[in-house]
Amino acid sequence: MTIFSPRRIAVAAALSTALLAASACSGGGDDKGGQAASTELTVMTKLFGTAPDPNGELQQAVEKLIGKKLKITWVPNAEYGDKANVTLASDNIPDVMTVNEKSPSFVKAAEAGAFWDLTGKLDKYPNLKPANEQTAKNSQTNGKTYGIYRVRPLLRSGIVIRKDWLAKLGLQEPKTVDDLYAIAKAFTEKDPDGNGKKDTYGLIIPKWPGNYASASPYDVVETWFGAPNGWGERDGKLVPGFDTPEFLAANRWLRTWVQEGLVNPDFATLDSANWNDPFVQGKGGMIIDVNVRATQLLDLFKEKNPKDFDKVTLVGNLAGPDGEKHSYPFTGYNDVLAISKQHIRTDEQLDDVLKTLDKLESKEGSILLTNGIEGRNFKVEGEYAVPINQEDPKVKAIQNDVDKAFIQLGTRASVGTGAYQLRPADEASRKMREKFDVLMNEDLKTAVFNPALGFVAPTAVAKGQTIDTIVPDARIKYLSGAITEDQLKAQIKRWYDSGGTDIAKEINDLSAKAGG
Amino acid sequence: MATDLVPEVAQPAAGSPRPASTQRRKRRTPNFWRYRWLYLLLLPGLAYFVVFKYLPMYGLTIAFKDYVPFLGYSGSEWVGLKHFQELFTGPDFGRLLFNTLLLALLTILFVFPAPIVVALLLNELRVNVLKRSVQSLVYIPHFLSWTIVASLTYLLFSVDFGVIANWIHGLVGGQKTDYVAQADWFRPLIVLQLLWKQTGWGTIIYLAALAGVDSQLYEAARVDGAGRWRQFWHITLPAIRPTIVVMAILTSGHLMDSGFEQIWLMTTSLNRDVADVFDTFVYYIGITQGSFSYATAVGLFKGVVGVVLIFGSNFLAKRLGQRGLF
Repeated sequence: MTIFSPRRIAVAAALSTALLAASACSGGGDDKGGQAASTELTVMTKLFGTAPDPNGELQQAVEKLIGKKLKITWVPNAEYGDKANVTLASDNIPDVMTVNEKSPSFVKAAEAGAFWDLTGKLDKYPNLKPANEQTAKNSQTNGKTYGIYRVRPLLRSGIVIRKDWLAKLGLQEPKTVDDLYAIAKAFTEKDPDGNGKKDTYGLIIPKWPGNYASASPYDVVETWFGAPNGWGERDGKLVPGFDTPEFLAANRWLRTWVQEGLVNPDFATLDSANWNDPFVQGKGGMIIDVNVRATQLLDLFKEKNPKDFDKVTLVGNLAGPDGEKHSYPFTGYNDVLAISKQHIRTDEQLDDVLKTLDKLESKEGSILLTNGIEGRNFKVEGEYAVPINQEDPKVKAIQNDVDKAFIQLGTRASVGTGAYQLRPADEASRKMREKFDVLMNEDLKTAVFNPALGFVAPTAVAKGQTIDTIVPDARIKYLSGAITEDQLKAQIKRWYDSGGTDIAKEINDLSAKAGG
Repeated sequence: MATDLVPEVAQPAAGSPRPASTQRRKRRTPNFWRYRWLYLLLLPGLAYFVVFKYLPMYGLTIAFKDYVPFLGYSGSEWVGLKHFQELFTGPDFGRLLFNTLLLALLTILFVFPAPIVVALLLNELRVNVLKRSVQSLVYIPHFLSWTIVASLTYLLFSVDFGVIANWIHGLVGGQKTDYVAQADWFRPLIVLQLLWKQTGWGTIIYLAALAGVDSQLYEAARVDGAGRWRQFWHITLPAIRPTIVVMAILTSGHLMDSGFEQIWLMTTSLNRDVADVFDTFVYYIGITQGSFSYATAVGLFKGVVGVVLIFGSNFLAKRLGQRGLF
């Protein structure tokens, strides 16, 4: 019998056909039914590093606490939005999913009945009950609660400035936008790095990936100038923030920054992942972003020179040209944990899942998700958690699982509810950390909240992406000098003409209905 | 391969005298039986096309529905041509079509002929080592991903630290140009990237065609006193003409494919007006926005145009006296 005998060929061919057919089918045939969900919970959430081992120490500890097997799909943060949309389009939606409850594809799926409406159902569970009313309202979708919000500090905006540059030029920390301009001008023209060359600029802005009102430096500056944050009331009606004179004034002001070279020349293209680079390299002296960037930069300077790294200071929101202070708040949360109806069909099953989540978000659970296993990878010292045994690769794995992965499942932990704060590595970071709360509480007094945060206009769901880019693109074009102010206004009108008029009407109706 | 094999093996049968109709039916079964192993070999290939190319076409029905994943393919509501109407009357259609077609035109003008020119130039090289090493060097970029090409472009052309941008600035003076961000430079950069990445790879097929030219033809031409240019014009070019025609027809089917990754990576706020093409639009609408039905409708429209272009150019090639593709 030769290798190519007819029979062998027949078998090989039949086998390969069968294989193809089998692989084509395996995509859909995952029928888990309703019952299996009681001993296993499928979850999808974000990942910021390498995925944890499902049999790792930490996952086992979590499973032991909640009394269920966890099957977690870890998706890298950068592609989470796309992957979430594709998952929503599949017939394999996990039981618990971290989602942006305002994204069109989620709203569509939820309105079609793919997710549980949790409005009024969370109060029974002590650890899932919303702790902050404003945040709970923000995380709703047109009056319905589709998920448990993952809490974040309510205000994180700030300006990070090179402390040593300020000192060298004899400048004070800014209090108003005029101070900020003066500092930027000095940073650009007075040679703050002392190398005799005019090779620095004041402010560093990256290519902003988000839409309008997505906490970009532009949005923050506009709020300082008195523009609404996202939506605001003008003459008794809600209008988009970019349709106000303050918006134009802020951008006119920023445009002069660009023209005078006070901003990095590649602000339209600089990858936001490299945002820190020009700051650490000493090319630029200021960043308007979230406060934690200050500690990040501090760490980077420390890496460069452990002896002389205290070169960063953090300043809160600024007073506008009229002398009045308006601060840019955040939403108070980042995505929600939604529960899909695919495998959890009955109210009893839902109650079972919510009880499980309640255990996961308890004090004990929060510590596991945020700090790790006490005595293994950290010990408690006063109010702080202190990392221990970090040279042991097994402990290192636990630490990695906590920091890069499991912390994403926490809904309460990141503002210190339940879990311990990490003890800062040095005096400078400790002071910086302490500043966060001081600045936040101070700025919250003047915070400009977005009254439309809890609403999603149906027209925005239908054609959001095609018109969402109109205004932010026009803003960048205007700042770079590619278009005039009249053309910028024309683009704002284009937004209204391409569906914005309907969106504005719907937002007003929704807000009126909610009694806002 | 199967198509090559079957006629060869089948020849004796075809050559035998024509049987009567009753006989024919009888002979047909044994014929099939005789080549049963070849047919069996064909099966996996057929299965591949059915499973991965034809069955998924069922999903195209969502272009005519309001697809909600939760309700499934069959449960979603039929809406007829609503999405197509929305596409053709929408504010984006004109811009998308213009951008896509202009990029296609630039591709035909600059990118399509480039491999032919390079192949002809390489063919004239007499030092074999040089020829081979140049050939290898120019097709290496083909193996780099678009992400790397885009990063290289940023490194070379960025307004802040771009090597080439700074070099040009030093040469020309005046104000610095932001090549990667400005709308005016978007298309030139796209064409440059395509040239750098694809030209070398494209030369392979033309070099193969050139290698197949009978050297006796050149000898005869030389004896008749033909110079380099005459040889090129009357021998080399006609010899590779069929290859060029086939490549042209195949390319025409992809005219509407602007290369999603490349465009997407090069898009910025400043150049979006000229950068948006059907491929990126489908991504924004379908994946980012979750409007699966609308995105499918746009994709289907693109596919239909591709088919029309293939058949059209094939027809044109035949009309012009060339052998078409089919």
